Amino acid sequence: MRAAALLLVMLAAPTQAAWEWGEALTVNPVQGAAVFPHLESANRQGVAVSGDSVGVVWEDNRDGTPQCYLAIKPGAAAEFQPEIRLSQSACYEPVVLALGAGRFAAAWEEAGSVHARVLPGGGASKLAAAEAAQVTLAAGAGGIYAAWAEQAGRFRRIVVARLALAADTLGVEAARPVEAKVPSNEQGWPALAVAGDGSVTVAWEDRRERHTVPLVSHSRDGRRFSPPARLTDHKSGSVDGLGAGSGAMRPTLATWGPRGVVAVWLDKRDFLSGYDVYAAFDPGKRRFGKNLRVQDSFGDNMAQWHAQVVGDASGRLVAVWDDERDGTPDVWLANWNGKSFDDNVAVPAAAGAGAQSDPVAALDASGRLHVVWLERTDAQAATRIRYARAEWR
Amino acid sequence: MNLIKSVVAAICLWASAALADPPPGYPFVGFDAGLAAARTSGKPIFLYFGRYGCAWCDHTNKKTFSDAALKKLYTANYELVYVDAESGKRLTLPSGERITEAELGVRLKAFATPLFVYLTPQGDKIVQIPGFKTVQDFRDYDRYVRGGHYKQKTLLEFLGSKS
Repeated sequence: MRAAALLLVMLAAPTQAAWEWGEALTVNPVQGAAVFPHLESANRQGVAVSGDSVGVVWEDNRDGTPQCYLAIKPGAAAEFQPEIRLSQSACYEPVVLALGAGRFAAAWEEAGSVHARVLPGGGASKLAAAEAAQVTLAAGAGGIYAAWAEQAGRFRRIVVARLALAADTLGVEAARPVEAKVPSNEQGWPALAVAGDGSVTVAWEDRRERHTVPLVSHSRDGRRFSPPARLTDHKSGSVDGLGAGSGAMRPTLATWGPRGVVAVWLDKRDFLSGYDVYAAFDPGKRRFGKNLRVQDSFGDNMAQWHAQVVGDASGRLVAVWDDERDGTPDVWLANWNGKSFDDNVAVPAAAGAGAQSDPVAALDASGRLHVVWLERTDAQAATRIRYARAEWR
Repeated sequence: MNLIKSVVAAICLWASAALADPPPGYPFVGFDAGLAAARTSGKPIFLYFGRYGCAWCDHTNKKTFSDAALKKLYTANYELVYVDAESGKRLTLPSGERITEAELGVRLKAFATPLFVYLTPQGDKIVQIPGFKTVQDFRDYDRYVRGGHYKQKTLLEFLGSKS
């Protein structure tokens, strides 16, 4: 009788699906107390999955100057293959994009411009005609695009380019500034997304309102862009004549569902608790709706950093970031349940003693989640780049 | 025509100075330049971690840093460094690590601006203090730092014992 009752209880209990994580791997083979790897980039695009291969890009200073690297782990391999150096001189903020069938496109800043290369095998090409930085890549509906911040007079402005892939080399088919006029203040850190209908969305940090505001613009064809609109629904402005408004920075974009685009960024509208993670959705109307807070109440009274959002065509959506709610920096994620972001969960291998931070993530075609982060067990220890994959079960 | 251009340029410069950034008239420099200068001069570093458009930074600039005697005190005795909390501008930490100004906020665990950080000439952190502070506050911090009291006491202990 008791056994039957227990069985009934077990059957009645709802099955709670969750990410089931595999073993974490180390990506960077060269480590040292004075070697500092970084996963920073526009749109935080440090990992991509092409076919069954995982590609990770980063920058480190092992050679005395910052250089950019790509390491690939084929699906059947137990470890990452030896990394490929992408740059010849000081290199910053590399990104990686999946091209399919195990091929990747990487882009980075080097020697005052932005460059791209197809890997494995292809040659590097310069993308921008003028001084440029903070490049990012996106692909969809048969098109490959890049965006970067390019010097135009006193300030940088956002340029979007449609790229052409020919014989393992990426070239610029057409590059246009989102706005034709010379910028009145700094623009930077662009994020790009190409939705299922082929339309291009670009978001960036913009200082024209005398404080940092994430702006967004859309294009049906990647050529003509709509007038920029604010991502934030928070009406920021001066307080009693002081300052110009609360800050918001580092927007990231991801495609989501058949036509949707989602944005996640760091927002300081609650100015006493550091940056919070906020999100906004464009279901396909090419207009972002009201802002939603991503982190749960346990993360409210502390700063969040390094936020990114990833999505897939099935509608799965995950936001990742790091914060110190448990005493040290850990990597946290929140799943979108269709109405709101779920309670936050830590990535198991990226939580606990020491610092686990700077997450970058990707969802593959099978809905598996790939997360890469920096791990430092103590202040004197070498920093490792770590990778783990999860399946939703 | 040239006069109009000059007036417009002056207004633009005034507007950008008034809305953000370090207080006008102080010789604030970037992080790397400030660290290099401190190594040469042996002066401690006063790091102003501000944010473009930050209301409390603006308030501090107008209310506190407008004090002529405070300006003289800090200009004479510190290497003055300004860092923008949201900037992608690069800097190099004393460890040799290259990060962005925004990333320095992560390392400082900054949750609000302004944040004021006192550093030794070698770039080691002495103390960091968030939020609006008065002229007298900055005079007290100066005594704590340049008097070497930080070697024996926390700032709170020092402030609690000051007469």
